Amino acid sequence: MFAWINSSIVSIIIFLPLIVAVLALFSPSVRLSKWIALGGSLVTFIASLHIWFHFDAKSSALQFVEVYDWLPSMGIKYLVGVDGLNLLLVMLTSFLTPCVLVSLWESKVTYIKPFLSLLLVLETGMIGALVAFDLVFFYVFWEVMLIPMYFIIGIWGGSNKIYATTKFVLYTVFGSLLMLVAAIVLYLVHYEEHGFYSTSLLDLYKITQMGLSTQSYLFLAFSLAFAIKVPLWPFHTWLPHAHTEAPTSGSVILAGILLKMGTYGFLRFALPLFPDALVRYSPLLMTLGIVGIVYGALMAWMQKDAKRLVAYSSVSHLGFVVIGSVVILNGKLSEEALTGALYQMINHGISTGALFFLVGMIYERRHTRILSEFGGISAVMPWFAVCLMVATLGSVGLPGTGGFVGEFLILLGVFKFSPLAGILASTGVVLGAIYMLNLCLSILFGPLDKEENKKLTDMTFLEKTYMVPLSVLVILMGVFPNFFLDKTRASLHHLAEHVSEYRLMVSHHDSEPVHEVAGASDTKNK
Amino acid sequence: MLIWLVLLFPLVGAVWNGLLLPRHKLLSHSIAVAGVGLSFLAALPLFVSLLGEGAAGSVHLAFSWIQAGDLDIGMEFVVDRLSGVMLLIVTGIGSLIHIYAGGYMNEEKTTARFFSYLNLFIFMMLLLVLGNNMLVMFIGWEGVGLCSYLLIGYWYTHKPNAVAGMKAFVVNRIGDFGFLIGIFLTYKMFGTLSFSQLHEVLAGQESLSPALTSGLTAIGICLFIGACGKSAQLPLYVWLPDAMAGPTPVSALIHAATMVTAGIYMMTRLHFIYYLAPSALMLVAFVGGATALFAATIALVQNDIKKVLAYSTVSQLGYMVLACGVGAFDAGVFHLLTHACFKALLFLGAGSVIVALHHKQDMQEMGGLKKYLPITHAVFLVAVLAIIGFPGLSGFFSKDEILWRAFSFPGVGWVLWLMGLFAAMCTAFYMVRLLCLTFYGKNRSDEHTRHHLHETSSVMWAPLVVLAFLSIFIGYLGIPPFLAEAFHGSNLFSPFLSSVIQVPPAGEVYWSFLHEHHSEALEWSLMGASTLLALGSASFAFILYRNGPTPFLQERKEAFASVYRTLYNKYWVDELYDRIIVRPLKEMSEFLWRVVDLGIINGGLNVLGQSLMFLSGVTSFQMTGSLHRYAVVFILGLMGLVVLVIV
Repeated sequence: MFAWINSSIVSIIIFLPLIVAVLALFSPSVRLSKWIALGGSLVTFIASLHIWFHFDAKSSALQFVEVYDWLPSMGIKYLVGVDGLNLLLVMLTSFLTPCVLVSLWESKVTYIKPFLSLLLVLETGMIGALVAFDLVFFYVFWEVMLIPMYFIIGIWGGSNKIYATTKFVLYTVFGSLLMLVAAIVLYLVHYEEHGFYSTSLLDLYKITQMGLSTQSYLFLAFSLAFAIKVPLWPFHTWLPHAHTEAPTSGSVILAGILLKMGTYGFLRFALPLFPDALVRYSPLLMTLGIVGIVYGALMAWMQKDAKRLVAYSSVSHLGFVVIGSVVILNGKLSEEALTGALYQMINHGISTGALFFLVGMIYERRHTRILSEFGGISAVMPWFAVCLMVATLGSVGLPGTGGFVGEFLILLGVFKFSPLAGILASTGVVLGAIYMLNLCLSILFGPLDKEENKKLTDMTFLEKTYMVPLSVLVILMGVFPNFFLDKTRASLHHLAEHVSEYRLMVSHHDSEPVHEVAGASDTKNK
Repeated sequence: MLIWLVLLFPLVGAVWNGLLLPRHKLLSHSIAVAGVGLSFLAALPLFVSLLGEGAAGSVHLAFSWIQAGDLDIGMEFVVDRLSGVMLLIVTGIGSLIHIYAGGYMNEEKTTARFFSYLNLFIFMMLLLVLGNNMLVMFIGWEGVGLCSYLLIGYWYTHKPNAVAGMKAFVVNRIGDFGFLIGIFLTYKMFGTLSFSQLHEVLAGQESLSPALTSGLTAIGICLFIGACGKSAQLPLYVWLPDAMAGPTPVSALIHAATMVTAGIYMMTRLHFIYYLAPSALMLVAFVGGATALFAATIALVQNDIKKVLAYSTVSQLGYMVLACGVGAFDAGVFHLLTHACFKALLFLGAGSVIVALHHKQDMQEMGGLKKYLPITHAVFLVAVLAIIGFPGLSGFFSKDEILWRAFSFPGVGWVLWLMGLFAAMCTAFYMVRLLCLTFYGKNRSDEHTRHHLHETSSVMWAPLVVLAFLSIFIGYLGIPPFLAEAFHGSNLFSPFLSSVIQVPPAGEVYWSFLHEHHSEALEWSLMGASTLLALGSASFAFILYRNGPTPFLQERKEAFASVYRTLYNKYWVDELYDRIIVRPLKEMSEFLWRVVDLGIINGGLNVLGQSLMFLSGVTSFQMTGSLHRYAVVFILGLMGLVVLVIV
């Protein structure tokens, strides 16, 4: 039994939520449905902890690999596994989902059962997209993420939900269709070079004879899909609408994890598959990222709605992640910046996830998110105040929080690449302090002069059960970053080297077929 | 081992008070005092071990903090004579202020949150002081800024307090932006951020290439921008006067004695960079001199007792920065030490006055308090004499040292000296004015307040007495050599630090004047002149203000109305910044949001969407509802795209 769990642990964390989603949907009572959903997501989290603790940090090879032929004639396989690039994101996903489910425990949402189910389906989609190493499966999971979010915003959203959700879906689908085309081309290019069909990323990484112009088209197609998802300026306008209309849990998942699918896509696909094109377009992406950092910050500063403010702050923060991903130094990706980018994805997931939870709490109590409606509520909601302060500090990247480590590493790499770019991007650090502290000032401080605010109740026990761990994580990730970074180092090093060497293998043993590698990593785990 | 205890105690205090929130005020006060007091006791033997002849510093690694690529930054700390001195200032003066704060905050319902922040501040300050690389220092650097932000806005229900806290944080962040760029530059040039490694590299250079010199100059200037933020120098000083919104012990601890001196400490720690970047130091010297003078003139006419002290602090920090600028880092640190004592005393004394007057800070409503607050008056008098440089008190020695070192700087030294001299005269004037308006003349408060006037409790005045003793005697550690010879003593302070602060070999030619011998007569006469001018200025102020505001003064005020208004309104610098920076930035953002974001980017997208919808209306005759047909069209389209891309 244990051997079976160990060998199929990745499939378990992908599909367990899906099974639980079905159970939760058809459970006889709402209460039971909640227990099933939460229990299922917690088991998924524990299973992902198993991966965390048994992950061999010294190896850049794909681990916990599961591979089954699906359509051998077309070279399509079910190939999933974990490496240093996706491990932290998988953990973030499996950690945030139970948090969201707890936050729904006492909510009076209508149609709660389908809502919980959709969240779990979403978890399957997200984890699946993260661990899939086969283009077809990746694409399927990528689209699977979209459908639950479409319904979550469209059914449980605010007053303008249809506009917001349609825009979100059309925009994303437009991007992913381009990606699909590019993927098919890639598939054919691989066939031409190697003489057999394969959709496995590990095979596609071995393409070496792709001309610059083909690379460029494909890179741009993949990048556009990811840029819309991130969202990179100027493809960001769906985000504020989607966030404003989405229910709290939708926003947490959207900002916490879904946006990272875009930046993860860069690391997993766009960078290693098209290194020459990356070198060519890195200045373009760098420019868009820096514009996004400054622009998003200025937009956030102008917002009067707390949720919109946090939404625009994501545009700014993810600009950091994008520029960190594309720093090329001497024909090699900067490992510092790459590490920072990956770490910043997690930090942003934690601190912005927390911020959306917090904004949701006051919205639930006051039915408004307009900043001027608040003021001085630190006096009646001290726990809330502390959590908001910690999330804010993480968001502005104060040293001692994870946000600092991420931003510092990114900016250090960018500065080495181009001092001017580094200086321009660093202004985001100053602007971040302005809009985030403005948020705290408007909500927490000043006189408690509105009658409605005087009656506000502080965070409940349930709210604390997920806000306290999130807050603690913000600080732990800043004080002991190596605990997390250790797991990513080998893979990031491998990725960085690859851009100069132009080949990324499943392991250092080039000739070994995938099956043996899977076996090898298996023996390591025992 | 002791170094871990030094760091641990304040952290435990902060966490205890912050998480368990003891309701009992005495308990939270005791925890906090123990936190910083035990840290002081642990620091003492650490310091004593540094006293021996040629005692070297030691580096302690706690754990590897950030490791990525080639970068490996350790959580490492350095104990040497420089950080040792700072250690004693931070924990020693910190302890006294913690004790005092218990009395000051006695009217509050609970004080756990307050003392938690205060202990956290000490912890962060220790990180700043002990950090052995730029990044650990930067944790402390921004950490103290956080505590400052939280404590300025401690009484947050009054919105201006919270706004002042935010202003402090944001202005400091602008400085920190410079600091960060300096860190990046350092790493780009040297591949390390560790102080000891940087020192090794730079001290090993016999001569410098022009590229290295310009790089060091850029690093020096960037880091100095950081110092301008934290140590409230022109043009980033604007947050400090507003920071007086915090409780007075906070002003004494953070905004006078410790945090604001971080910029001076940082530059001294990196003296080996600055010695090799003379043009950066020239900038430092002039910014320091200008700040000293500029802030002193504003302090001349302010009526809020804490505002006067705030501008005085800005001015005195200017002196220290000036000292760094002329390469007299030891003199800067010496003034830092004496200033920490007498300025903390001044703030705490002002705090006692404010408590006695039920939180009134306007000196126009004070006067004649000598009778009611005799102890406070006595210690306050000592502090005033110390800061104006009355012969024999601590400020006299440290200020004279800086003026002398400025004067002996070749070339422009006399300009810097003149700036310092004028600032000293202003200092004497405004401090005596403050003393007179507060303690002498007739009492001008209302009947009710006067009825309740009485001396503060011993928990408040006892620390003041200790600080008064320090303000008198601590200056004798650093008697100028020529005076020391005359009185058969010796200067203990500069030689003590000289094992840490040394000109690197590559800079020895430029800085050779530091060892030049000057005639004693010149030193005597300069000291005499500056002392006489300061005392003259003080007497002038005493004659004018000893009876409080008089009709005569009112007439003078009107005669010089434009000058008075300019100074009283602080040269309208805040208004200027608002007009040329804040408002344009806001208007630009508003434009970007309404026109570019909502209008062009989003609007364009909507137009695109609508036209597509229109097109689909045109082509909808294709919609037959047959899935086959859709699939065929879809696949054809895909293939078309694939062909397009490949060909």
